Amino acid sequence: MRPAKRKTLRRLGAAAAAALLPGACRDPAPRAPRNATRTLVFKHSKLFGNPRALAALIAEFEARQPRVRVRTEALPSASDEQHLFYVINLRAGARDFDVLALDVIWIAEFARAGWIADLTELMPPAERGDYFPAALAAARYRGRLYAVPWFVDAGLLYYRKDLLAEYGVAPPRTWDELARIALHLRARTPGLHGFVWQGKQYEGLVCNVLEYLWSAGGDVLRGGRVVLESAENRRALAFVHALVPRGISPELVTTATEEGSRHIFGSGRAVFLRNWPYAATLFERPGARVRGKVGIAPLPYFPGHASAATLGGWHLGINRRARYPEEAAAFVRFMTSPEAQRALAREYGLNPARRPLYADPELLAAQPHLEALRRILDAARPRPVTPRYAQLSQVLQGEFSAVVTGIREPEAALGAAQREIERILGSA
Amino acid sequence: MTRSGRYVGVLLVALYCLAPLAWQLLTSLRPAGELTTLPPLLPTRFTLEHYVSALTGHPFARMLLNSFIAAGAATAVALAFGSAAAFALTKMRARRVGLLLAIVLATSMFPPIATVSPLYLVINALGLRDSLAALILTYASFALPLAIWVLANFLRQLPDELYAAARVDGCTPLQAFWRVVLPLAMPGLTATGLLVFIVAWNEFLYALTFTATERSRTVPVAIALFPGLHEIPWGEIAAASLVVTLPVLVLVLRFQRRIVAGLTAGAVKG
Amino acid sequence: MKRLRPLGERPAVFLAPAVAVLALVTLFPILYVLWLSLQRYSLIGGAPEYAALDNYVRLLGDARFWNALGNTLYFTAVSVALEVALGLGIALLLAQAFAGRGAMRAIVLLPWAIPTVVAARMWEWMYNGDFGVINYLLGTAINWLGNPYWAIHAAIAMDVWKATPFVALLLLAGRLAIPPDLYQAARLDGAGPWRLFRHITWPLLRPLLLIVLIFRTIDAFRVFDAIYVLTGGGPANTTETLSIYAYKVLFQTLEFGYGSALAVVVFVCIAAITAVYVRLLQRTVL
Repeated sequence: MRPAKRKTLRRLGAAAAAALLPGACRDPAPRAPRNATRTLVFKHSKLFGNPRALAALIAEFEARQPRVRVRTEALPSASDEQHLFYVINLRAGARDFDVLALDVIWIAEFARAGWIADLTELMPPAERGDYFPAALAAARYRGRLYAVPWFVDAGLLYYRKDLLAEYGVAPPRTWDELARIALHLRARTPGLHGFVWQGKQYEGLVCNVLEYLWSAGGDVLRGGRVVLESAENRRALAFVHALVPRGISPELVTTATEEGSRHIFGSGRAVFLRNWPYAATLFERPGARVRGKVGIAPLPYFPGHASAATLGGWHLGINRRARYPEEAAAFVRFMTSPEAQRALAREYGLNPARRPLYADPELLAAQPHLEALRRILDAARPRPVTPRYAQLSQVLQGEFSAVVTGIREPEAALGAAQREIERILGSA
Repeated sequence: MTRSGRYVGVLLVALYCLAPLAWQLLTSLRPAGELTTLPPLLPTRFTLEHYVSALTGHPFARMLLNSFIAAGAATAVALAFGSAAAFALTKMRARRVGLLLAIVLATSMFPPIATVSPLYLVINALGLRDSLAALILTYASFALPLAIWVLANFLRQLPDELYAAARVDGCTPLQAFWRVVLPLAMPGLTATGLLVFIVAWNEFLYALTFTATERSRTVPVAIALFPGLHEIPWGEIAAASLVVTLPVLVLVLRFQRRIVAGLTAGAVKG
Repeated sequence: MKRLRPLGERPAVFLAPAVAVLALVTLFPILYVLWLSLQRYSLIGGAPEYAALDNYVRLLGDARFWNALGNTLYFTAVSVALEVALGLGIALLLAQAFAGRGAMRAIVLLPWAIPTVVAARMWEWMYNGDFGVINYLLGTAINWLGNPYWAIHAAIAMDVWKATPFVALLLLAGRLAIPPDLYQAARLDGAGPWRLFRHITWPLLRPLLLIVLIFRTIDAFRVFDAIYVLTGGGPANTTETLSIYAYKVLFQTLEFGYGSALAVVVFVCIAAITAVYVRLLQRTVL
């Protein structure tokens, strides 16, 4: 063997050996001397954008807490993949991460399972008014708070200002107005779709359909009772059922996710889009086809009712078996502080969970849509807050998908979902 | 088969295998603004922007090394242990061969999604969390049933006298296995090796759950880290997935010759 | 029939390493899943409670389970049949002498070399109803993944593309292991291509074919990643396979008892199918 080759091999071997062995002092290290450095591990979904901004924020925290170091460990952003990771790790009692970012729909579930710590004391009542009420509601389980809102999301309507102006109409306030405008503009422009949204069978579909139910005065649960079979829900779902057959929405919405629908609207091929706020900045990027032509508005409603948006977003929680709960609490406080939220909003376009920041001159200058967004977020509603939400969502996803693709009537779908969810909650 | 017919067939097969990848290549070279418009079939201009942003800011070398170690070691273990087992089952007159083969096969009949959580407990108990050893062990065990079955099939076709003769010549069972039998099973060994290497290279579920940091993160998990909460940078994912396929392509090109080389060796001795 | 073993033959020594690895990695998880399947156990519902066969009884009345079983059987039957037919054809083609043979053998393996999660994403884009290249080339406007009829076939097409190389490579190795003199001798006797295939290739490849069939069936029956990325089980659960259903029950709704029962059913189904294969083709293997 040639010496050079042997050297490379040896180097590879050393790297292999280092990678093969697990961390030397892993698990129970809490009995470290008082003045030793403690390393917090922060698990979160990868933030899209410059990683330096997050690093700078963490350096700032470390500067304030000289004996604490923070290691961030990114997880794939796909919510399901994170959920899988957390379930397996937390169920096995993992202690190798302290702070974790939680999708709003997991909080009650993780609290029920005993995986995350009660953080009620971490949030002084005086401060609670700062947060969007829906975000706090999502973090509550049996009257206690189990997570602190980090950033929030809500469904909203994007529309083409130029096309609507040409037609001489204002953005639609009711769903029927939206349908009429979409049909009219479609008829005039070949190849143009009316209204695109997220109709694939997944969590996003539930977010979409709930907005119709709520904006017709309907709901899934009320006071712990299943109220799916209602005239309001039937009316709302009948409208959804007809979107594709009436030509208001293209058939392809039945496979669309956020990105699929965003691309169609973003390439100028649709009049309306339902999506989360993240798309707003992408439409205004230099070179974007619809730059300067996109307006945002609250989602339409059915006459006699009010617009409703599904709340999304991420909270910060603390592993109940965290090695350093005090330091973790300090870190959560820091990451949810107005300064940190401002920095995250500026660098990553994450919408702050604290309301006062929506009047922040610096942020408003960079993201003028925040003003409109605040009003939408004020009216946002959390998905049913119950530890069994995932089970509910499973049922709703299948039934709503059947309605959207036209293989089941709204009446039948609501009936089936009603019975199934009653069974699930009854066995709770 | 006629000559021209053969080439038409080859061309069709190549087209079938390559067309989706060619589309992936076009996607990776398409400017971001044109990703979701069709026509035109070809981008108006070619750009390397996706490659640049995919390769900067992501520790690719480390991920590739991790993947190579995990998949390579798992393959080596599976082939070594698998061929030894196959040898014992076919040439050493082990008892209850059928039952043993059935049990080995049965271990791969559970959906991986159901065993990931209990296996995590095992890995945890062994103290192997966030280490490549955890992945190597897992992948090797997934690969073993295929390795044992395929190699047993190849070994069975070798005449029993070969082994008997080697033993009479004074070889220990291990020597007979290593010097005489194994070289003759080369085509099966190489083909199986390639297949299990790639399976390990591509595995996602266990890699996601067992790894936490860059120390042990493999390629598929690294690619899953590309999208943001909502945004999916399709051009970058296309670029990254092609980049990480290149090493496998090189490997395959190198090893497919072995399939044939092993045969020639076998022909001489057989 | 028991044959006498010569002195010093210890097959157990050669079997031990493989058995050890398998036992370490698979034994505990499998027993654990079996145990879980007999418990009433949800991660959000307190400690496990012995429930005998309750979970299995519940399966019988679960329409979603029967739907998933049907989807899984259909997916497995169609995709494995296509993969084996196509793979055999490709293997025989690649066994011939032609220029660029080495490169071709590498090319054929490429689909196998793309991580499934990436390949599925790639196909999802090609299937897109609006800007997907498949509709563009075919001149159609089909909503492949959103249409209750097309979705499962779209998933099958992707799986066939991805997994055919597995079949082709193994069968190619098997075909090349057939001594060339057999063919020469037969040709001297005046045998044509069909008779060569019928009387040499087919019988000699049959054991390997059985193995390929078994392993492809095992994989197809447990299909997860590909469909999960492509459709997530939709539309309206028309592509929900048993693995996807098990995943959702286990890791989304956290019902570990019921989800484990689903996994055991997958195991039983595969074992049954394998037994049928072996029975059908037994003479050729053991």
